[in-house]
Amino acid sequence: MTTHRLTRRKLLTTAAGAAVLGFPLPLRAQPKTFKVGAIHPVTGPLAEPGQACRLGAQMAAEAINAAGGIKSKGGIKLELLVGDTQTKPENGRVEAERVVQQGAQMLLGSFDSGSTNAMVSVAQQRRVPFLVDIAAADPITANVAKAVREGQQKVQYVYRNFPTGSSFGRKAVQYFTEIFREAGVSPKRVVPITRPASAQLLLPEIRKQKVEILGVVSPGSPGLYEAGQIAALKEDLEYVMASVPWPNFKNPKTKTLAEEYQKRSGGKTFDTNSGYSYDAMFVIADILERAARLDDPDTIVDAMRKTNYTAGLMQYGGPILFNEIGDNPNAIPTMIQILGQKPVAVWPKEAALQKFVFPRPKA
Amino acid sequence: MGPWLWLAALAVLLALPAVLSGYVVTIFILIFFYGFLGQAWNIVGGYTGQLSVGHAAFVGIGGYTAAMLSIEAGLTPWIGMFIGGALAAVLGAIIAYLGFRFGLRGFYFVLLTVAFAEVCRILASNIDAIGGALGLYITFTGNPRQFQFQDQRAYYYVALALMMAATGVVAVIERRRFGIYLTAIREDEAACEALGVNTFKYKMLAMLVSSFLTGIGGTFYAYYLFSLQPSTVFGIPLSVEIIIRPIVGGAGTLLGPILGSFILTPLGELSRSYFGQGGMYGVHLIAYGVLLIAVVLFLPHGAYPYLTRLFGGRPRA
Repeated sequence: MTTHRLTRRKLLTTAAGAAVLGFPLPLRAQPKTFKVGAIHPVTGPLAEPGQACRLGAQMAAEAINAAGGIKSKGGIKLELLVGDTQTKPENGRVEAERVVQQGAQMLLGSFDSGSTNAMVSVAQQRRVPFLVDIAAADPITANVAKAVREGQQKVQYVYRNFPTGSSFGRKAVQYFTEIFREAGVSPKRVVPITRPASAQLLLPEIRKQKVEILGVVSPGSPGLYEAGQIAALKEDLEYVMASVPWPNFKNPKTKTLAEEYQKRSGGKTFDTNSGYSYDAMFVIADILERAARLDDPDTIVDAMRKTNYTAGLMQYGGPILFNEIGDNPNAIPTMIQILGQKPVAVWPKEAALQKFVFPRPKA
Repeated sequence: MGPWLWLAALAVLLALPAVLSGYVVTIFILIFFYGFLGQAWNIVGGYTGQLSVGHAAFVGIGGYTAAMLSIEAGLTPWIGMFIGGALAAVLGAIIAYLGFRFGLRGFYFVLLTVAFAEVCRILASNIDAIGGALGLYITFTGNPRQFQFQDQRAYYYVALALMMAATGVVAVIERRRFGIYLTAIREDEAACEALGVNTFKYKMLAMLVSSFLTGIGGTFYAYYLFSLQPSTVFGIPLSVEIIIRPIVGGAGTLLGPILGSFILTPLGELSRSYFGQGGMYGVHLIAYGVLLIAVVLFLPHGAYPYLTRLFGGRPRA
C-alpha cells in the first residue's frame, strides 16, 4: 500500500498550478461585454465636473445592464473602462489609446475641448466610434466632417450630443430677446459678466451701490448658478438668469434619477455634466441595439447616423439626432433663474417650471 | 558606453514599434517628445545653469506659427516647423538679451522667463485671429504632407528622430570649446569672465539654440494633439514638465534628460492607470509626487550621474 504524503513543496506546486489554471475559468464563464472607454478629467483643475461625468456614465451603464443589457444582441452588458485626462490634451490621447488597447469599442468623453480633440485623432486613426458627451468647441466635429467631405478621411467616427460653442451664443441671444419681449422691456445695455470670481466681486457691488438695473443675465458662463456659488453669494444671486444646458425636471424620470444621484455623489446636484454623460450612455445603448453588428465599427457608425432617440433626460429641442456635421442640433441650453435660492428652468416656455421674474423687483 | 552599445540601443528602439501595442507606442512617443524638449532646455538650463521656467513660450510660438502657416497659407508644417523654431529663437534672443545684458541671475532670470511666457499666454488668449482663449483646432487628415499620420508608429519615429537630433546637437556642443565655456559659466561665471571668455555671447548662443529646438517641438505638439490652447501651450505647467525630466535624470549631462523622461513618463502613466481606476480620485498624483520627492531626495544630482558611478564610470560634465 502506498501512502501519499503531502509535502509542503507538493502543496505549493499544486496550489500554484490551480491558481494558474483556475483563474481564467470564472472569467471564461462570464458573458462577453461591450467595452466603452469613458474618459473625463477626474483630477486636476476640472476634477469636479469630470467626476460628475464619470458618475453619470457609471450610473447609466448600471441602469442599462440592470434592465437586461443590449437586448437585440443577446443581452450583452456594457462595461466602462474609465480614464482620466487631468485636463491635459496629451492624456486624452494616451488614455484613449489605453482603453482601446484594453478592448474599448467605443469612446465617450471628455469635457474639455483640448483633450476631446486629441481623442478625435485616436478615434479616426483606430476607427473607434466616439460620442462626445461634453465639449463645446465647434471644430471638434466640424473639422472631421470637413476632412471626410474633402476625401482626406473615409468615415466620420466622431459625433456629439452637446450644444456647440456657437449655438450657445445664438440661443442665449434668442432667449434674451424673447424674454425681453415677453416682459415688455427693451434694455439699453446688456453687460455680460464671466467667471465665478468676477461674479463674487460684481454682484455685491451692484447691491451696495444701489445700481438700477433690470436684471443680471448670463450667456452661460459658469459662476452664477452652482451650489457653492449660491451659498457664497446668497441673496445677491437671486433673480440672476443664465442660459445653460439643463436637465428636464418636468420628466419624472429625471427627478427620480436626480435623487439617486444626490445619494451616490454625497449630496451633489444632478446637472449639466452628470446629465449629458448619463444621456450619452443611453444613446450608446440605443445605437448598439440598432447596429447590424457590434464587431464592425462602420456598422456602429451607420446606426449612429440614424439615431433618433427621444428618452433623453436633459432639456432638448427635439429628439437626439446627428446632422451632417455630426452634431445634435436639438442639444440646446435652457434659461434658468435663481428663484428662492435654487436654479429653476424658466425659458423656453415648454421647459419652464416657473415663470421668470424680469425685470427684477426693486429692493 | 561603447559605440556598439549605442548602436544596439538604437536598433532596439527602431525595432520596438513592430512588437509594441498602440498604447505603449504612445507612451514611448511622449518619452521621446519630453526627452527632446528636456534636451533642448538642458543646453541653457543644465549646461549653462541659467534656469528658464518659461520654455513653454517657445513650444507655443513654434506650434502656433506652423499651424497658422498651414491653415492660412497652406504651407506644409515640415517647413513651418523651422519658421516656428526661428520665431521662437527670436523670442529667446529677446529674453536672453534682456536677462544677460542687465545681469539678471538666479530668481530674477527665472521671473523674467516666466513673465515672458505669461505675456505670450495672455496675448494669444486675446488675439481672435489665432483662436483666442478657445484655441486653435487642427483638422485630423492623416496626410503625411500635413505632418499627420494615420499610423501611430510614424509619430514614434518622428519623435525618436527629434530626440536623437537634439541629443546629437548637445553631444557636439559638449565636445567643443563652446560646451566647456557653458559649463564654466555655470560653475563660476565671474572666474570665467576674468579668464577672458565672452560670457554674454555664449549665454546668448545657448539660449538661441535651446529656444530654436524647443520651437520645433511646438510643431510636433500641435500635430500630435491637434489643438493649441493658450493656457496649455504657454502655461507654467508645461514649462515645469519640460524642466523636471532633465532635473530628475541629471541636468547638464548628455543622457540626463532622456533618462529622466524614461523614468518620469512611465511613472506618471503607471500611477494613473493603477490608482486612477477606483473611486479614490487623485491617489495617483500623491503616488507620483512621493516618488518624485524620493528621487530628488536620494539622487540630488539626478539619476544619470548616480548610475554612472554605480557602474564604475565617470560622470561626464
